[in-house]
Amino acid sequence: MSDYAVALTDDLLRPLIKTSWRFWTLVVLLLAVVSLGIGAFAYQVNAGIGVWGLNSPVFWAFDITNFVFWIGISHAGTLISAILRLVNAEWRRPVTRCAEVITVFALMIGAMFPIVHLGRPWLFFWLMPYPSERLIWPNFRSPLVWDFFAISTYLTGSSLFLFLPTIPDFALVRDKTTGWRNRLYSILALGWTGTTKQWHRLESAMQIMAIAIVPVAVSVHTIVSFDFSMAPVPMWHSTIFGPYFVAGAIFSGIAALIIAMAALRKFLHLEKYLHPVHFENLGKLLLMMSLLWGYFVFAERLTTWYGNGVSEMTVFWQTQRLSFAPLYWTMVTANFIVPVIILSFRKLRTIAGCVVASFGVVLGMWLERFLIIVPTLSHKYLPYSWGSYRPRTPEILLLIATFGAMVLFYVLFSKLVPIISIWEMKIGQHPQLAHESQTTDEAQTMWRTQP
Amino acid sequence: MSHRWGMVVDLDTCTGCEACVVACHAENNIPTAGPAEAARGRAMHWLRVERYWEGEYPEAKLKFRPVLCQQCDAAPCESVCPTYASHHTDEGLNAQVYNRCIGTRYCANACPYNVRQFNFFNPTWDKPLHLQFNPDVSIREVGVMEKCTFCVQRIKAAEITADAEKRELKDGELKPACAQSCPATAIAFGDLNDPESKVSRLFQSGRGEKLLEDVGTQPKIVYLKRQATA
Amino acid sequence: MTAIYGLFDKPEAAQRAYTGLKRAGVATGDITVISAEPFEAFEFSHRDHSMILFRLALVGGIIGFVSGVLLTRGTELAWPLVTGGMPIVAWWPNLVIIFEMTMLGAIVTTVVSLLVSSKLPAFRRGLYDPAVSDGKILVGAPLTGGRTEESVREALAAGGAVTVKTAEL
Repeated sequence: MSDYAVALTDDLLRPLIKTSWRFWTLVVLLLAVVSLGIGAFAYQVNAGIGVWGLNSPVFWAFDITNFVFWIGISHAGTLISAILRLVNAEWRRPVTRCAEVITVFALMIGAMFPIVHLGRPWLFFWLMPYPSERLIWPNFRSPLVWDFFAISTYLTGSSLFLFLPTIPDFALVRDKTTGWRNRLYSILALGWTGTTKQWHRLESAMQIMAIAIVPVAVSVHTIVSFDFSMAPVPMWHSTIFGPYFVAGAIFSGIAALIIAMAALRKFLHLEKYLHPVHFENLGKLLLMMSLLWGYFVFAERLTTWYGNGVSEMTVFWQTQRLSFAPLYWTMVTANFIVPVIILSFRKLRTIAGCVVASFGVVLGMWLERFLIIVPTLSHKYLPYSWGSYRPRTPEILLLIATFGAMVLFYVLFSKLVPIISIWEMKIGQHPQLAHESQTTDEAQTMWRTQP
Repeated sequence: MSHRWGMVVDLDTCTGCEACVVACHAENNIPTAGPAEAARGRAMHWLRVERYWEGEYPEAKLKFRPVLCQQCDAAPCESVCPTYASHHTDEGLNAQVYNRCIGTRYCANACPYNVRQFNFFNPTWDKPLHLQFNPDVSIREVGVMEKCTFCVQRIKAAEITADAEKRELKDGELKPACAQSCPATAIAFGDLNDPESKVSRLFQSGRGEKLLEDVGTQPKIVYLKRQATA
Repeated sequence: MTAIYGLFDKPEAAQRAYTGLKRAGVATGDITVISAEPFEAFEFSHRDHSMILFRLALVGGIIGFVSGVLLTRGTELAWPLVTGGMPIVAWWPNLVIIFEMTMLGAIVTTVVSLLVSSKLPAFRRGLYDPAVSDGKILVGAPLTGGRTEESVREALAAGGAVTVKTAEL
């Protein structure tokens, strides 16, 4: 094995084998945060949604904001990984698994909220199509049922997309460990040996998955946006929501990826594999998405302003000038002004710069979801029934717990699975040997050569 | 003959006294929210009287309108309910099936009229209202949506009686609680399939207009405009 | 059954051993080549090329599509409930469900086909050496069909094997 491959294997297996007190402290802390959220949820199930700040007419607020936010975060992972794979971008190699992990866990967290937000969450399974005794099925005209199908498909697809290329790495870890680890990874590796047939099938499967997962990812957040655009209420009933949400999702996902990669690079000492150029490339993508986000917001708001509908302009001014203005302009600063400034200049597009911009984007995108939901719901057509909203403790605890859960899942994953794909990095050293780049004549010439 | 229920509210006759609101609470076992919850915006009126005013007393101009579920023919609340808890009946009513509701609250968000209410907690009643439940109407538990049903229990009872007596329903025989209790008889209720019924005739009135008609919900309540301003 | 295999440092060496084994009369189906990373550019990988996975994914997609149509149309007709003035069988919303089920069908079929055709999970390990995880490439053949141990060892040595071992399968 080349020196590079030896160092690579050592560096990437070290987190699996060596555990320090810092890890355990972090896990305990995160478990505490997550259990606060679980406690808040248990309280809400017991007492009723009334323990939240929701009211008539603001029936959705933090719950659906969190839902859309986390489903959005889940988009960069598989999308980036799949698209970069399809266009054979070599720089993707150390990034793909980090990204795919974000997708799977963000999806799991996001998918909790359709259950958590229910008035009667113990009946969530009525969203599933199954032959019930009452002979009734879900209403396929409802965007919530589309959510169920889309998120299930995407979760299945991205979990498999994450798991399949991990199999050879599980085999590697199996061969390099003993005891309980050897047993665990033997099971996870599914008996993989690495025959040419297995490699060929795996690469074909990854190609198909990459092609299939892109339209699924696009459809998922489009369908989530349909939760809003299918309701005939001011500033929800907009045709722009599909593409707007997908762009926003990819935007927030890339930001989350940059933050995750920076954290991994620092805490797992992966400086040799996650180079400043990776952050630069992702930073450029983040810049592009920031500009795209700004474009969508501008297009939506200009159209609304020209339309000058009474009800639409009420919601419009609420965000631009009135009660929601502070949040609105914070969002614009965090999503557009700060990232564009930082990421446009190479001198500022360092790892630290990209991370700062990304934190801004994560904040800004959460605010964006909130500002799509609450201003509209609190200002529908009939002014007498307008309302307002203030979050209460259980909702805030749930929000914090989702971030805790994401970090916890990530930390546990990187403790059990190499966070960078070892076999794909090895290929990266000599990509032309791994791909079918030679014609039969060339190949014949090559292997007729005697030593 | 199949029925298609409609309602006409005469804004000229309506005094805004809110007897209809109270009657609706009594008839449909609607819980009282109490001052704390009402301050949080959780008063559960299936029927509310909206008030709008311009200017200051004594030059204040006042408008008010009772707003209740419009039983829309193209109801946005129906298509978004994932469990068919909200669906359209053959008699043109928007049915709310409490047992089927899992409380996503999407219907309430989609409703342009904000007429749908949610049980944020298990219902409670200020004493002695807990002694006056209507046995014909079920009590909804926490997490379930509810709204005006055009007093469907009264509709069903009248239809069953008429069936048993082998006759048609007479116009005006059947009144929801709000229509029954209005001292100004501002609310008319009846069968739109019967061209002779009061509501069918009033639907043709030149004073008639529907609420938020351009949203495209096809509501089945006609409001007769006021002839003079207060 | 005994098998003889050699461990090679470089894929070119493994290719030479593979060619040598073929010249010694070993059928391509009997030769095992195992590595820790794919080497699609070499002839020893070419024999397993097939487009079957793509075709199966297409079939899976079609099955998903049909299931989606049956699920939506079938259940909507089974208990027709009018909602929002929309038709009982509402094609536009149904398309969303049908699309998702098509993609799910394609994805699940791909993964199942991968596992079945690669014979995963493998409960009984075939020919394998953990040295593969150190970067060695394994090329070997079972001693069946009257093959002599010497001929196999010769072919492997010609490729420049680092070690040659025997294994019981």
